Amino acid sequence: MWKYLLEKEFKQFFRDPGLPRMALMFPVLMMLVFPFAVSMDIRNINLAVVDNCMSKESSLLIEKCTASGYFRLVDICQSPDEAQRLMDNNRADAIITIMPGFDKETALGTGLPAGIKVNTVNGTKGSIGSQYILNCFRMYLAAKNPDTASTPAFDISDKYYFNPYMDYKLFMVPALIVIAITMITAFLPALNIVSEKEAGTIEQINVTPVSKTACIVCKMIPYWAIAFFILTACLVIAWAVFGYTCRGSILWLYLYTALDMIVMAGLGLLISNYSNNAQQAMFLIWFFAVIFMLMSGIFTPIASMPDWAKAITFLNPMRYFADAMRSVFLKGSNPLDIWYDAAGLAALGSVMVTWSILSYRKSE
Amino acid sequence: MDTELNVIEIRNLTKKFGDFTAVDNISFDVRRGEIFGFLGANGAGKTTAMRILCGLSRPTAGTGTVAGYDIWKEQEKIKRHIGYMSQKFSLYPDLTVKENIRLFGGIYGLDDREINGKTSKMLSMLGMVQEKDKFAGELPLGWKQKLSFCIALIHEPRIIFLDEPTGGVDPETRRRFWELIYDTAEKGTTIFVTTHYMDEAEYCDRVSIMVDGRIAALDTPEKLKCRFTAETMDDVFRTVAGKAEREE
Repeated sequence: MWKYLLEKEFKQFFRDPGLPRMALMFPVLMMLVFPFAVSMDIRNINLAVVDNCMSKESSLLIEKCTASGYFRLVDICQSPDEAQRLMDNNRADAIITIMPGFDKETALGTGLPAGIKVNTVNGTKGSIGSQYILNCFRMYLAAKNPDTASTPAFDISDKYYFNPYMDYKLFMVPALIVIAITMITAFLPALNIVSEKEAGTIEQINVTPVSKTACIVCKMIPYWAIAFFILTACLVIAWAVFGYTCRGSILWLYLYTALDMIVMAGLGLLISNYSNNAQQAMFLIWFFAVIFMLMSGIFTPIASMPDWAKAITFLNPMRYFADAMRSVFLKGSNPLDIWYDAAGLAALGSVMVTWSILSYRKSE
Repeated sequence: MDTELNVIEIRNLTKKFGDFTAVDNISFDVRRGEIFGFLGANGAGKTTAMRILCGLSRPTAGTGTVAGYDIWKEQEKIKRHIGYMSQKFSLYPDLTVKENIRLFGGIYGLDDREINGKTSKMLSMLGMVQEKDKFAGELPLGWKQKLSFCIALIHEPRIIFLDEPTGGVDPETRRRFWELIYDTAEKGTTIFVTTHYMDEAEYCDRVSIMVDGRIAALDTPEKLKCRFTAETMDDVFRTVAGKAEREE
């Protein structure tokens, strides 16, 4: 019986006008387009400078900033008001004000009379921008005094582990795989089942003695196969295009993916059990997709969420899966280090699978 | 069990959806090998009753057996011994004729050899050998219906349930479909058919007419016509169903 059901599902999958193409396009988009789109590397920060010193020293500082590649010098203004106007008109993201006597004080090593003003309407751009400016100042001072004795004010000890260049793309690659796998293994099967409900074909199956399990598992298997294909394709593209390789064992990536698939199969089935048509299913999918992504730590760190929001993330399978994939990919963790991710997925999975099987009815 | 006279015995069957009583305390028997017509206006509860008999829906109250199995406890066993053809075309439109036959054959536990044998027999009987690799969705409606009918019979069930099998096709196609039904009944399969074409009701051995969830009349077409002093089943139906109080 299983053989015939599986045959049917695979034939239907490959005959679908969109699905096979989607399975191919997904990893390509995920790896070649999205890492750039979701990159938080900030470039082209529009910079205005108010130079009240007009000395060789001050122009050296400005040059250091513009040479970094992160800033685009909009204007060197005569007065603070003029610079402020630029910021108000959205033409400048940051203003550096260099005070009179800048050259003297830096020469004596008594201080660095300069101010930074940053537009933080876009918070990320603002905070990263001010970091960059501080870095430029530090580089300027370091170049001036190689003995570094007079730079205590900027002695910020930065050391980035696991992603030393703070490459946001590297950070996002495992997370994008997580999103792709969730879409493929939860939402597509849900839509598939609901469309069979709408067409009435599921009734023809329900009136046969076919078992629930056979019916459901055969529906899921093609999507599981596609998910493993996408995972593999993403890893190959990440390696071939960006040179990113998994620091941990690839086996663990597959293991966690398999675990996640079970949770997602349960979710997909639950959605289809509770929706009678594609519209309802789409709405539920949209709801879950948005919550899963925003509450997963993929785009924003969970540690900085308020406690109540943190509590919600514990119910989010994507939180565990994303953490596991990043830990394995970036840090080379093994399941002993991230046992809690496996435990979280297993707990959510057993609840969802049990619930979905109980709520799946061949008869009403 | 095959020696039993009745293949379906239903007593006091009721199905409620919330406050609405779709099927209201009906009792009837269907004899082995007969063509049993299940008539009623839209919304009279025929499809609901039929779905209970097929194990697609659970009754609210009442007892009954289908093919000798209990409608409460042995739904899955019932399914092994019945065929069902719904009013919607419910084969897979993106599978070919041959693949649909293969899928349902496989689901009912036939092996490849049996399936191949059945397929060629079925295709030649339907005159669809040429179309075997066409997608089922591309067939004309009359052919789809005949194909669904034959696929519902693939496991040689004792009873086949047909829910408005000939909706939407011309009289000639309907007549040919009924020839198929007769052939099947002759081989000993019980036919349980819902319809609202009254000429089709004339073809049945016995007919029941449902009104407002209840069975208002049940007999052979001849006796019904006699009882209601009507010329045709159409007149019988008008007299009986005319008393309906329920809106659609």
